[in-house]
Amino acid sequence: MERTDCGKYEWVKVDPEKCVGCGYCVEYCPRDVLRMGENNIPYMHYRDDCWYCDVCRFVCKQEAIVLETVPYLIR
Amino acid sequence: MSVRKIEADVIVVGGGSAGTFAAIKAKETNPECRVVVLDKGPIETSGAIGRGMDALNVVSVPGYGTPEDVVEALTKVTEGVLDQECAYVLGRDSLPIIKDLERYTDRKPGDLFPLDENGNYKCSFLHPTNKALYLAMDGEDIKRGLAREVRKLGCTVLDRTPACKLLTDENGKIAGMLAFNIRTGHFYEIKAPAVILTAGCVGKFGMPRDGYLSGIYEFPGNTGDAFTMAYHAGAELVNMECFQTNLLMKDFNGPACGYVVIPRGGYGVNALGQKYWSHGYWSGDMFLAVWREFMEGRGPVYLKLDHLPEPTLKGLEKILWGTERTVRGQFHKQRNEDYHCWDSVEQGMEEITLCSGHSNSGIFVNKDTETTVPGLFAAGDCAAVPQQYLTGAFVFGAIAGRMAAEYASKAGKTGATPDAEKLREDICAPLHRENGLPVELVETKIRTKISQYLTPPKSDPLMHKMMWWTERISREDIPQINVCDYHDLIRVTEIQSITECAEMAARASLFRTESRWGLSHYRLAYPARDPKWDAQYVIVKKNDAGEMVCEKRPCPEYKWKYATRLEYEYPKMDLNIGSGFVHPANDNTDPWMTEKYEREGMDIPKRIFPKKGKKEEA
Repeated sequence: MERTDCGKYEWVKVDPEKCVGCGYCVEYCPRDVLRMGENNIPYMHYRDDCWYCDVCRFVCKQEAIVLETVPYLIR
Repeated sequence: MSVRKIEADVIVVGGGSAGTFAAIKAKETNPECRVVVLDKGPIETSGAIGRGMDALNVVSVPGYGTPEDVVEALTKVTEGVLDQECAYVLGRDSLPIIKDLERYTDRKPGDLFPLDENGNYKCSFLHPTNKALYLAMDGEDIKRGLAREVRKLGCTVLDRTPACKLLTDENGKIAGMLAFNIRTGHFYEIKAPAVILTAGCVGKFGMPRDGYLSGIYEFPGNTGDAFTMAYHAGAELVNMECFQTNLLMKDFNGPACGYVVIPRGGYGVNALGQKYWSHGYWSGDMFLAVWREFMEGRGPVYLKLDHLPEPTLKGLEKILWGTERTVRGQFHKQRNEDYHCWDSVEQGMEEITLCSGHSNSGIFVNKDTETTVPGLFAAGDCAAVPQQYLTGAFVFGAIAGRMAAEYASKAGKTGATPDAEKLREDICAPLHRENGLPVELVETKIRTKISQYLTPPKSDPLMHKMMWWTERISREDIPQINVCDYHDLIRVTEIQSITECAEMAARASLFRTESRWGLSHYRLAYPARDPKWDAQYVIVKKNDAGEMVCEKRPCPEYKWKYATRLEYEYPKMDLNIGSGFVHPANDNTDPWMTEKYEREGMDIPKRIFPKKGKKEEA
């Protein structure tokens, strides 16, 4: 059995079916949390800087982003 | 990689509410003025109102209040420790900035702000006075409007490029700023005779008990950088002993949001469902009342809404879940919380912060936003106009923009500054260290110490211990931080700011030999207000020897005679817990221990290790 990789735990979820890789969320994140992944889908690169402010979801024209939950420690 | 050089007239440090207004007004004052705006993020979304804001918490508008009414309210909630002229200007200029906001966001009266039947902006009661000074706002998108105006006017905006060092010339005059882009690592040396500090409060200060570093009330990019930049440039700071001890939505640590709910009929109750204090304004007496509920076993406390009419509840859901901290609704849903239940919004007091907007602390400024250093201006949450809220960020941001543009037009050429390449090398040192300390661990350490040693009620020995920690962390830990990119490199500067602000907070708290502002400066060694400290500031500054010092200074003479105290008293605590059991005296000498030491010396007994040679045999 493998140990859970805590680094992969993310609460900003991007739907790869809807995301067109425009990068708006990466550009407008006020805390510089998101980066574009190799597959052209954004991911939480600096996860623990996230203020769960919702800007990423707000700027996404494709409605591809779901702030699935608030960070686990405060949920 | 060389340092890029920019010549400018005015540098705005922080493109939040105050910073965007400052940049706009500097350009409107003098279109030729070369304005550079620096921000840790993109100015469209950064700062406290990136996702919108739902009210201007203090205004004076026709039909409801006058500038004098604002002076009355602020004189009371600051318990007389204020410059009344600043409070007057806050009230006087609130109507012009309401008009500005409507213009910049292209919104009509009655759309961005509500109107009453007479066509006046419709205010509500919030402050502990009998004046209506609170104006609701449908401000979901105002930051985008302000950013658009800044760019339209031709300001140079360096997004994701936080200021990291204020440059002064050989005579100590303001000469510019060093900044770097947290993605590309490009450094900028910007020369200018005028700098406006609008970099926000010390929001990352204490540590929330849930342990999440960014799980705080204030915007986490606000780490006291303006406080320490001003301090090192020779400016004075004030009210650093008045801690912000916000009553927040427990765990979520966003606003509860009492200021939206209270003017519409909500109020705070304890675990027994009883209203526990007379008003819900964030003055120190209210925080003291919350603390009492917990001390006497009636916590947690809640924000009660269930008695409100259904249309009001629906309206509150729309405002609270659609503005400022919009994830609030989801947070409630995941906990099965519903505003129709009296105990659905649990509140708690979490991390302490230093902030002028919601509290009193900041850089010492006059009504013209001038600090004590020529050419250095400050506005917003970093500038000590107590309890100015968002209104003050706009009002004094605008004044700072005008003042700085005028100052720059008369200032001569900037003097020589330290070698920027050398400064860049020093700042970049954590990128080149091997086996250093991870930046998040050092941040966790200083912030947990702040929570443990500084959270009120304040204890003198604990605050002395805090100073021991700030000295140790500055000397041993910060110089050992290792980072691998520029995003994390700025956090080293932030940790230095947080640490220095903690020292200022401890020193100022120990200097004011009384208690004042309810819980915000409840000092157990001096558990009462002392008239000696009426209308007296504690100033923190750097002396000629480079040491941090405090001094007492009278506030400017009152122009208006208003009440200087709130209706509360400090508790008279009886903590008598009896004398306890007393043993007969033990023998101080211990032959057993002495014999052991003489036989083994300081060597660790060998018997706990595997036998010698075992490894080789295997």
